[in-house]
Amino acid sequence: MRDSPLGKPLLRKEDFRFLTGTGRYLDDIEVPRALHAAFVRSPHAHARLHRIDLSRAKAAPGVVAVVGGADVNQWTAPLRMAPPIEGLQPVEVQTLPTEKVRFQGDPVVCIVAADRYLAEDAAELIEIEYEPLPAVASFAAALAPGAPLVDESLSSNLVSHQSFTAGDPARRFAEADRIVEARFSQRRQTHLPIETRGCLAVWDEGRQHLTYHNPNQAPHPLRSTLAARLGLGESQVTVIVPDIGGGFGQKIALYREELTVAALARHLKRPVRWREDRLENLLASSHAREDKARLRAAVTNAGTILALDLELTEDFGAYCFYPANYLARVVAMILTGAYKVKDYRFDVKVALTNKCGNGPMRAPMAITSWVIEGAIDKIARELSLDPIEVRRRNMLRANELPYVTATEQRLEDITPFETMERGLKTIDYAGFRARQAEARVAGRHLGLGVCVVVESTTYGSAFYKAAGIPGSGHEAAWVKVEPSGAVNASVGLMASGQGYETTFAQVVAATIGVDPAQVQLHIGNTDVAPYGMGSRGARGGTAGGSALHLAATEVKEKVLAIAAQLLNLNSPDQLHIEDGAIEWLSDGEWTRTELTLASIARTAYLDPLRLPGGMEPGLEAHRAYDPPPMTFSNATHLCEVEVTTATGTVRILRYVIAEDCGTVLNEMIVEGQQHGATALGIAGALYEALDYDNEGQLRNGTLADYLVPTACEIPNFEIIAMHTPNRRNPIGSKGMAEGGVMGAIGAIGNAVNAALAPLGIEATEQPFSPEYIRSLLR
Amino acid sequence: MAKVPIVLTINGERHEFLAEARKLLSDALREDCHLTGTHIGCEHGVCGACTVWIDGRPGRSCLTFAVQMQGHQVTTIEAIAQDGKLSALQQALHEEHGLQCGFCTPGIVMSCEAWLRDRPEPDEVAVRELLSGNLCRCTGYQNIVSAVLKAARQTRGA
Repeated sequence: MRDSPLGKPLLRKEDFRFLTGTGRYLDDIEVPRALHAAFVRSPHAHARLHRIDLSRAKAAPGVVAVVGGADVNQWTAPLRMAPPIEGLQPVEVQTLPTEKVRFQGDPVVCIVAADRYLAEDAAELIEIEYEPLPAVASFAAALAPGAPLVDESLSSNLVSHQSFTAGDPARRFAEADRIVEARFSQRRQTHLPIETRGCLAVWDEGRQHLTYHNPNQAPHPLRSTLAARLGLGESQVTVIVPDIGGGFGQKIALYREELTVAALARHLKRPVRWREDRLENLLASSHAREDKARLRAAVTNAGTILALDLELTEDFGAYCFYPANYLARVVAMILTGAYKVKDYRFDVKVALTNKCGNGPMRAPMAITSWVIEGAIDKIARELSLDPIEVRRRNMLRANELPYVTATEQRLEDITPFETMERGLKTIDYAGFRARQAEARVAGRHLGLGVCVVVESTTYGSAFYKAAGIPGSGHEAAWVKVEPSGAVNASVGLMASGQGYETTFAQVVAATIGVDPAQVQLHIGNTDVAPYGMGSRGARGGTAGGSALHLAATEVKEKVLAIAAQLLNLNSPDQLHIEDGAIEWLSDGEWTRTELTLASIARTAYLDPLRLPGGMEPGLEAHRAYDPPPMTFSNATHLCEVEVTTATGTVRILRYVIAEDCGTVLNEMIVEGQQHGATALGIAGALYEALDYDNEGQLRNGTLADYLVPTACEIPNFEIIAMHTPNRRNPIGSKGMAEGGVMGAIGAIGNAVNAALAPLGIEATEQPFSPEYIRSLLR
Repeated sequence: MAKVPIVLTINGERHEFLAEARKLLSDALREDCHLTGTHIGCEHGVCGACTVWIDGRPGRSCLTFAVQMQGHQVTTIEAIAQDGKLSALQQALHEEHGLQCGFCTPGIVMSCEAWLRDRPEPDEVAVRELLSGNLCRCTGYQNIVSAVLKAARQTRGA
């Protein structure tokens, strides 16, 4: 279209229902006769299960069923996680444990009752005899000699261990003028969607069919797993995803509670629903992070990085709902970011501990940019160089792209240098030293942190294949123009706040040539949507948008072929669609014909004898798109902070983001994603930490104790859009929405250390809480 | 626990049902009155998603028993837009992209609408202070703050 809706900040179609309380989230779906489930969870981090007495609970008012692993495990298959990855131990997880519990919060018994109050009453009547076992509550404890085994089928708690070498780092370290070592660690966080997990399972005994309502980011993979573990055919299960009240990666896996509820619905032949409470969500849904890194850099006195050596560990918790290498390995693979380093070694160890299992949380590779960018700042400090000069010296420039990294990732169409320089100018980097010196005189400690982010966004199937992880990176879509000219479209992704109904309508509308208001997305029903890989990473726009674009292109081509036939033209080359009308190019000007998308659609469905010879009736296309192995976008985050030494508090004074995420689908929504991702990064950098004691007891499992940042903690962000198209993607997209997390962690890490460096102090453990900063200052 | 008859006035309408005396207002609104716009996020009074008005003032419906609300006026998100027309604040949240997943949004609307009535000229610091009673995990708050300030400006101008 001449005035393409692609990229425009169109207001969201979704908003009206959310603003008026008429959205439809899981718990808003009413189903008659539905029973409510509640779970009894282990109070111990590690304990042998002995006698489980369900009798009193079974007799309690309103109770319909009480089951433990002995029952549920007969109705369901265990989860087997055994991809053929070197150094990864295969694991198997029962639906509910029968021998022992592995973390505080491990579900043991499920009660189904007439309502949730009664189910929770009955939970109090369950008697379970536990024999407490010694718990391992940290990575170090898990690998200590003689450590108790979290999973007794494994040879050790080291569930995954991979190393890699490219080039000759040993030689480069021997040649180096200096070796700089830097350490980084993150505490355990959790996703904390404001809507907790839950599900509603409806079994149709007559049709032998399960309708499963679940706020899940990846409906089709969920259906595959659910059907397989229930022993049902994939055509016996429909997954329906309502509006999702936030996901952030927590709503991808099929959780054991959710499988139990589905099995009970089938067994009881009654609808069963479950919604966890917030305390369960904090304690027992999915956790994330808890990575520790040590990076050694071989450098010259001028600041050239000759080689890097990364040691990374992750405390993965008690169960693997994903391959244990899945998160940490990406950190190692993309660590070198925007820098030219061909000699590189990494060693990545992941251990099981007696804590809640880890999963991908918005930017599973969140620590990456802090590690590389923090190391560069440390190199600069040790060599008395300007940290920006060290970046400039080592950074890839446009004329050096495409560049294949040491881990064989292909970087192209990225602009780290450009975003960095623009960001520095905006925040007045040149003037910062004077600002800092002036503040010092007044007894104030300012720091400016810069973090250049190269974000891996969209994994193609070739990446999965190379990593040995089952699955694919493709996405699928269909587009249909109905007989009235209305446009329907679907994709295998599921939104949890990203505004797909708006942005993808823009993609389809721009491709066909209609108003986005005319395009309706239908997502979140596995019987309607094509089989796709779902929303995870930052792949939605790049993979899903491209699949929709390809399908819409095919539909448009058919429309124009029909139009050419009806207009008696030899070819459709001189035709296009503008705002739903077919236009014809004559004498260099587009003029409207009498044909419209609606009239062509009517012909295609209802008068097919007028179609070109051999053309099928109807007007729809179904396409899939498999992106290159990896797509990258980039940004530079810059923030200025003040550290108050008396209290240890960190205040953000200014925050600038210069980002290039390729062609954007909707500028307003992209900015919203940048805000949200950066805020989540700040949450981990300054506030949030799940605090386990040495016995594996969670000490801050309420929202009064786990510090989620409020509007008073998150600053305003100044965003500079520097988007340049990705030439390897059909719509120019590069993906985005996780890099903000990476950038904030690194920019705050560097800003705080810039403020503390004059005091001779280095902060290495996030969150940089007042207690932690004060402990360094003492 | 025995169920007792409860009579509530919600959005000016009378709702009569049987429920246990321990039933939370948040659950009663959703399950017995079928008003599902009020969301439950934490059930311990921190996240603010369940905020409603009790006699015109914001309150946490997850910390209130339904039975306590007899004789009081309860207002929920469903009553804010009039005849399908968004309030100034709802419209501003739409225009400023002040919501993403939308789950916290009803609570934010209920908190801010009531607050704005008494504070026609708020500044950003005050808005952020107010919003600290509502958690949002998607937006980073910036666009919500802009929307509240915009709604205040427009209400003043109107």
